[in-house]
Amino acid sequence: MTRWTPRTPLAALVALFSLVTGVTGQSKHENSIVILTGQQPTAPIPTLMEGQAASAGNLELADQLFLRLAGLGPTLLTAGDRGFVPLLARSWTRRDSLTLVFDLDPRARWQDGVPVTARDVVFTFERARNPAIAPRLVALLRHITSVTAEGERRVVFRYSRAYPEQLYDATFHAAPLPAHLLDSMPPEGVARSSFVSQPVGSGPYRLVRNVPGQFVELGANERFFLGKPSITRVILRIASDPDARLNLLLSGQADAMDNVVPPLDNMRRIQADPTLRLVPVPSNTVGFLLFNQKDPGNPSQPHPILSDIRVRRAITLGLDRQLLVRAVFGPYAEVPYGPVSPILWIRHGAPTAERQNLGEARRLLAQAGWSDSDGDGVLDRNGVSLRLGLVLPTTSAIRRQMALLVQEQLRQLGIDIDVQRLEFPVWIERRSGGKFDVDLAATVQDPSPSGLSQGWTCSGGSNAAKYCNPRVDSLIERAVLGLGKPDPRQAWTDVLRQIEADAPAVFLYAPSYVYAVKRRFRNVTISPASPWQLLREWSVAN
Amino acid sequence: MVGRELSGWLLRRGLQAAAAFAIALTILFFLMRAAPGDPLSRISEGRPLSPAEVATLRARYGLDQPVTQQFVSFVGGLLRGDLGVSIEYGRPVTALLAERLPATVLLGGSVLLLNFTVGLWLGVRQAVRRGRREDRWLTTASLIGYAMPSFWLGLVLAWLVGIQLRLLPAAGMQDPLLSLEASFVERSIDVLRHLVLPALTLSVVSIAATMRYQRTAMLEVLQLPFITTARAKGLPDTVVTWRHAWRNALFPVITLFGLWLPILVTGSVFVESVFAWPGLGSLAAAAVWGRDYPLLMGASLLVAALVVAAGFLTDVAYAMLDPRVRLA
Repeated sequence: MTRWTPRTPLAALVALFSLVTGVTGQSKHENSIVILTGQQPTAPIPTLMEGQAASAGNLELADQLFLRLAGLGPTLLTAGDRGFVPLLARSWTRRDSLTLVFDLDPRARWQDGVPVTARDVVFTFERARNPAIAPRLVALLRHITSVTAEGERRVVFRYSRAYPEQLYDATFHAAPLPAHLLDSMPPEGVARSSFVSQPVGSGPYRLVRNVPGQFVELGANERFFLGKPSITRVILRIASDPDARLNLLLSGQADAMDNVVPPLDNMRRIQADPTLRLVPVPSNTVGFLLFNQKDPGNPSQPHPILSDIRVRRAITLGLDRQLLVRAVFGPYAEVPYGPVSPILWIRHGAPTAERQNLGEARRLLAQAGWSDSDGDGVLDRNGVSLRLGLVLPTTSAIRRQMALLVQEQLRQLGIDIDVQRLEFPVWIERRSGGKFDVDLAATVQDPSPSGLSQGWTCSGGSNAAKYCNPRVDSLIERAVLGLGKPDPRQAWTDVLRQIEADAPAVFLYAPSYVYAVKRRFRNVTISPASPWQLLREWSVAN
Repeated sequence: MVGRELSGWLLRRGLQAAAAFAIALTILFFLMRAAPGDPLSRISEGRPLSPAEVATLRARYGLDQPVTQQFVSFVGGLLRGDLGVSIEYGRPVTALLAERLPATVLLGGSVLLLNFTVGLWLGVRQAVRRGRREDRWLTTASLIGYAMPSFWLGLVLAWLVGIQLRLLPAAGMQDPLLSLEASFVERSIDVLRHLVLPALTLSVVSIAATMRYQRTAMLEVLQLPFITTARAKGLPDTVVTWRHAWRNALFPVITLFGLWLPILVTGSVFVESVFAWPGLGSLAAAAVWGRDYPLLMGASLLVAALVVAAGFLTDVAYAMLDPRVRLA
C-alpha cells in the first residue's frame, strides 16, 4: 500500500528546485551587452515613426539601424552648421542662405552591401514629405522646398526661408532609407512589408531578432564604414515596470538600464553594487505647474483667480523649488529658468530661477485682495476661498510626490491646493479640454528650441492653458528666424525672460536621466538626444 | 435516449453560453466607449498631435464614426476573425494576443497545476488529520498564504531569491543571451527557471484557498454513513480517502476551478509586471491605461470567453462526476 508522507512532495519540490537552480545562471558573452528599456519597438523605420510609432523605443532602435546624414554634436547646438558631426555625409556647404549641399561619404554602405547614394536621400525625403505617410514629418520639414541629387554622392536641400536650423531639419528628423529596396513598393505598403521586421539599414547594428514583449537582439554590422562596433551583440530587453527593470539589473541579468527613476533609494541600491555606476545625462523633460488662464467652467471668461498675475507670481515666489527638486531628485535635477529642459542649448547663458520669497509672495496676495478674514488658515476674498485644483496623472510617481510637497508649501502661504490624481487618459482629456485650475505637467522636448512655440504662443497646438502674449509670439518668431541678435542664445533668453515675467507657469524641475551601466564597459558615452546612439564606440574592459 | 438527452443539453448550454458571450461583448463595447479618456491620449503623451495627425489617426481606427457604427464594424470584423488593429502597437490584435497567449497559458497552467495538485492533496491531508498538529500548522500556513498580498510576495521573492541569493532569475521569461543553437532541453530548463518565481507568487494564494475549500468539503464527506460503511468493510485508508471520500468532496473545488480559470489571465497583471512576464495580463493592463479600444476588446473577449467556457466545463464536470445531477 502506498503511504503518503509529507516528505514525498517536499522531496519532489526540492529535486525540481535543485534542477532549475543548479543550471548555470545568466549566460555570459564577452562582447555583448543587455540594455533594459521600457518600451517595445514596433516599427523602427524612418518615415514610419508616426502617431503611436513615434515612441522612444522605435526612435532609439532606429538610431542603431539607420545612420543620419549628420549627428548632433556634444554641444547639442541645433542652430547654425557647426554643432554637427559627419555621419553619412562627410561634409556640407552652403551655396546661399536658402541652399545647403551635402556630400555623401563614398564608403557608406547599406547592410546588404549596396552603396548609399544621393538617390536614397531624395527618395527618403519624398516619403517624409508625403502627408498621407508622415504628417508629423511634413510639419517638421515644412521649410524644405526640394531635395535633389547631383550625381551619385551630392544632395541639394532648398529652403523656403533662411533660418538657423536648416541643417538640423535636414539631418535630425529622417535618416535615409534604402531606395533600391523600397522604391518599388507603394508608400503606404512599406508599413505592412517585411522590411519592418527585417530592415536593411546603414547603421552600426543590424536587427537579428525581435521577440515580442521580451527583447530585441542586434548584431554588429560587419560592413559599417565608420568602424565595426567593439560590442558585437546588443540585447534591448523590455520590461515596462521600473521595479522589474531594477531587479533585472541588480540580479545581474542586464548590463545597463535607461532612466533610473526616483525614489532616490533606487539610485542608492545601484550605487551599493560595486559592479555598477550611475551616468547622469541631461534629459529632454521639464516639469511645471501650468496655470489655466481661462475659467474651467466658462472658457470664454478669464480664470477667476489665476488670471491675476499677482496670484501667479505669489505662487511662484511661495515655493521653495530648490528644496522640492532636492527632495524628489536629489542631485539629479535643477530648477529651470523658463520652459527649458536640460537638453536645450538655450539654457546656457539664461538667468537662474528666482528663489523663494515668502514676504513678497504675501505682499502680492494682499495687494490682490486676498486675506484670511475668517482665520481658517486659507486666504479668502469677497467670501471666496483661495482654493485651486491641481490635476496630475497617476502614472507619474515623480509628479505624485511633487504635488504633495507643493500642496504643503502653498498651505503655509494660505493657498489650499486640492490634489486630483487622474487616470492618464482622463488627465489628458481634462487638460486638453481646459478643465483644470493648475496642471502639474511635464513636457518632452526635441533638441530644438523652436518647439517652444507649441506650448507658449497664442496659437500653439499644446497651449492647454490658453496663455497668450503677442510679444512672446513675436520674440519666438524672431528667435526661430535668427533675427535681431547676433548670438541666437540672446534672442532665446529674451523669450525666456518674457515668459518668466508673465508667470504662466511655475517651472519646477529639469531632471537628468540617470543611466546605470556596468563598470566593465569602457568609453561609455550616452547621448542626451538618443541614449544608445554612440554604443558603437563602447568597448569591454579586458 | 441518453445520447439524445445529452446532445440536447449540450445544445441548450451552448446557446446559453453564446448568449452570455454576446451580452458580455455588447456591454463591454459600450462601457469602454462610455469611460472618460481618449484613445489617442497616450500617443500625445510627450508630444501633442497636430489636428491633421489626429484626423488621420481617428479615421484610421474608425474613431471618427458614430459609436453604433463602430459597434457594427467591430461585430462584422469579429465574425470574420478580425479584431482590428491595436492603436498602441499598430498591429493586428489577433497577432498580439496570439504572441502573448503562450506565456499566459504557461504561467496560468503551471499555477493551476500546482494549485489543484498540491492544494488538493494538502487539503485532503488536513481533513484526514483533523485536529492534529499537522492540520493546525497547515491551517495557519494556509491562512497566512491567503492573506499575503501577491504584489508584496512577488517583490520579496524577486529581491531575496533573484537579487540576494541569485538562485533564480529575478524577472523575464528567457535568457536572451542563450545561444540560438541551444537545445530544446536547455531552452526548456531556462524557461522553467524563469517560471518558478512568478508561478510561486501566484500559487501561494491560490493553493491556500484550494486547501481551505478541500479541507471543509472533505470533512463533511468523511462524516457521512457510506464512509463509515467503507471503513467497516475493512478497506484501506488510502482507498477510503481517495476513491470514496475525495471523489464526493470535489464539487466545491470544481466550482473554484471554474472561478480561477479566468482570474489567472486577469489576476496576474501585477505579477506579470513585476516579473516582466510577457503575457496577456500586462498587455491588457497597458491597453486599459492607453484606452486602446481594439486591444482592450480583444483581451476582454478572451476573458469573457474563458468565463463562459469555465462555467460550461464546470457544469459538464458536475454532470460527469455525480449521476444525481440531472442534465437539465
